[in-house]
Amino acid sequence: MRALLILILANIRSFTRDRAALFWTLAFPLIFIVMFGAIFTGGGDSTRTYAYVDHDSSARSAALREALAGVENVELVDKTEDDALAAMRTGDVDGVFVVPAGYGAAVDSLVTQPGPPASIEVYTDPTQQNGTTATYQLVGVVLGRINLEVSGRGPAVIPTPRRIQTENLTFISYLVPSILGMALMQLGVFAALPLVADREKLILKRLSATPLRRWQLVGSNVVMRLLIAIVQTLIIVGVGAYAFDVQISGNLLVIAALILTGSVSFIALGYVVASFAPTEEAANGMASIVQFPLMFLSGTFFPIDAMPPALQAVARALPLTYLSDGLRQAMVGGTPFSPLWLCFAVLIAFLGICFLISARFFRWQ
Amino acid sequence: MTAERSAVHDPVVVVRDLRKTYGDTKAVDGIEFEVGRGEVFGLLGPNGAGKTTTVEILEGLRRADSGTATVLGIDCNRDADALKPRIGVSLQTAALYPKLTVTEVLELFKSFYGNRPGRSADELIERFDVGEKRKTRTKELSGGQRQRLAVALALINDPEVVFLDEPTTGLDPAARRSLWDIVNELRSEDRTVLLTTHYMEEAEILCDRLAIMDHGRILETGTVKELVGRHFQERSVRFDAIAGLDDAQLGAIGGVASIAHEDGEVVLYTRDVPQTIGAVLDAAEAIGAEPENLLVRRPTLEDVFLVLTGRALRD
Repeated sequence: MRALLILILANIRSFTRDRAALFWTLAFPLIFIVMFGAIFTGGGDSTRTYAYVDHDSSARSAALREALAGVENVELVDKTEDDALAAMRTGDVDGVFVVPAGYGAAVDSLVTQPGPPASIEVYTDPTQQNGTTATYQLVGVVLGRINLEVSGRGPAVIPTPRRIQTENLTFISYLVPSILGMALMQLGVFAALPLVADREKLILKRLSATPLRRWQLVGSNVVMRLLIAIVQTLIIVGVGAYAFDVQISGNLLVIAALILTGSVSFIALGYVVASFAPTEEAANGMASIVQFPLMFLSGTFFPIDAMPPALQAVARALPLTYLSDGLRQAMVGGTPFSPLWLCFAVLIAFLGICFLISARFFRWQ
Repeated sequence: MTAERSAVHDPVVVVRDLRKTYGDTKAVDGIEFEVGRGEVFGLLGPNGAGKTTTVEILEGLRRADSGTATVLGIDCNRDADALKPRIGVSLQTAALYPKLTVTEVLELFKSFYGNRPGRSADELIERFDVGEKRKTRTKELSGGQRQRLAVALALINDPEVVFLDEPTTGLDPAARRSLWDIVNELRSEDRTVLLTTHYMEEAEILCDRLAIMDHGRILETGTVKELVGRHFQERSVRFDAIAGLDDAQLGAIGGVASIAHEDGEVVLYTRDVPQTIGAVLDAAEAIGAEPENLLVRRPTLEDVFLVLTGRALRD
């Protein structure tokens, strides 16, 4: 056990002292996110747009509209309720305020005598936490002013929260789980390089002359890569969340299980590459040849539905399709391309195949 | 060779009729030898002689096709796992993690041996004179330092038997000498050492006994003295070949037992050095020549190798 831990530590040291490996595993995926993020979120746009649905058409409702629109960086568009909710679903507006008929009368009556408060409906998507918080802050500030003005005692107008599921992912929230899938794939496939290098330098042979077991050697390798996978996940998701407001929701256990299964499957693919590459340069070439189709044909940068049918068939056959699809479903509620169970099943089957090939062809010396 | 079976006291390495074939090449072709406890034993031979294959079978890294090899009474083919904790290994090339420091590599290898009492990394660093390099990554070490570290790694588990495959190949003379000191120290600690080399000088200086290997076979086994004595009661007199002085003429000189030719030199093996030299000088003078680079030597391993294989073993 101690040998395993020290070997893992040695692996981590070797990895972190390899600047090229560090760049490709940690910086490279981030470059994609920052680049696409900057292009598609249209830099510095902090204005929030809301649909305003006025069923009351009173002076009070007009005043409320004015108060909301008067807040800095807030823009209101008038819509019918149906249009407003549709716009919300497609991501055109950040929220919807619905003022029910009778709102003005209800508020007016509160000026003279106490009674139950009037209410307005506020639609948000709870999976977009930051947006939801900002919306309720806005509502709180504006309604607070009205409350003071009307009665100064209890609340005059209260928000009735309404949830709405926004269907379409923004491009950046599509991209973050996809890039994570791509990064995990690369982390695994490029495991071949140090393996082949160690074999070329006779390190694997030298280790065979010690009591170290092969499962310990492989285990240390896999654990090291899994630790890096965690770091990659935190960096990619962190930058997505803080710089581009991508909300990660969903079952953490499912997400962790997907990351684990995906990483191990692609590390196994790395062993397959190492089984057939005689030299480190050959391994580098083979890993590149393997990674590019995976990168571009697995729906990393655009949805598979948007690809020509022939390429869609290819995508169906690529394991990264299932990892990225699963991650999008689990992390940002992406529209499923395959059911989640199938994503797991394909990854596990792929792991099994890679394991068998490596077990048969991998050479230690 | 049958005499060899009982020649070694307390054998630690026993090899019997060992064979290993790669495709059409008989890398090891039915060899036998024994190494006694505390001996420094050398396998001497040119590249491709089968030395490394032999050693790697003994280290449990390769399986022999047939024959037996035991180290410390353990069958190397069948029970390599039992063997590995008790041996130390240095491969042909120093196999070191390039990005780890000297201390880190030593600590790493130490961990492989679990709780078995061994040497501490610090102790080995001191002893192998890599102290000022302890925080240096191994890829930045010189060839000599790398090789010393590789041997230090072979000792981290305090092994009873140490295998050193070509420990000084490619090293400069000073680095080579420092490795020889280490091997002599191992001998003084009563460790058994099996090393391979293609340097005659190294084999003569380091090895208590050695086996001369060529084309997968062991040609002779013994101490340097035995090997030389078995073939030569004579000294060798050598000089640059002189045109007009043929073998028949030289062979007739009193005391000359045999004649060999090597790189444009004539080598006369003789029991009577003064008479032979006198006769050579006379014969040369008679045809108006003078023997150049005239040299008298006690025959060495090099001569033995020349006689056994018909060719010189050069670096």
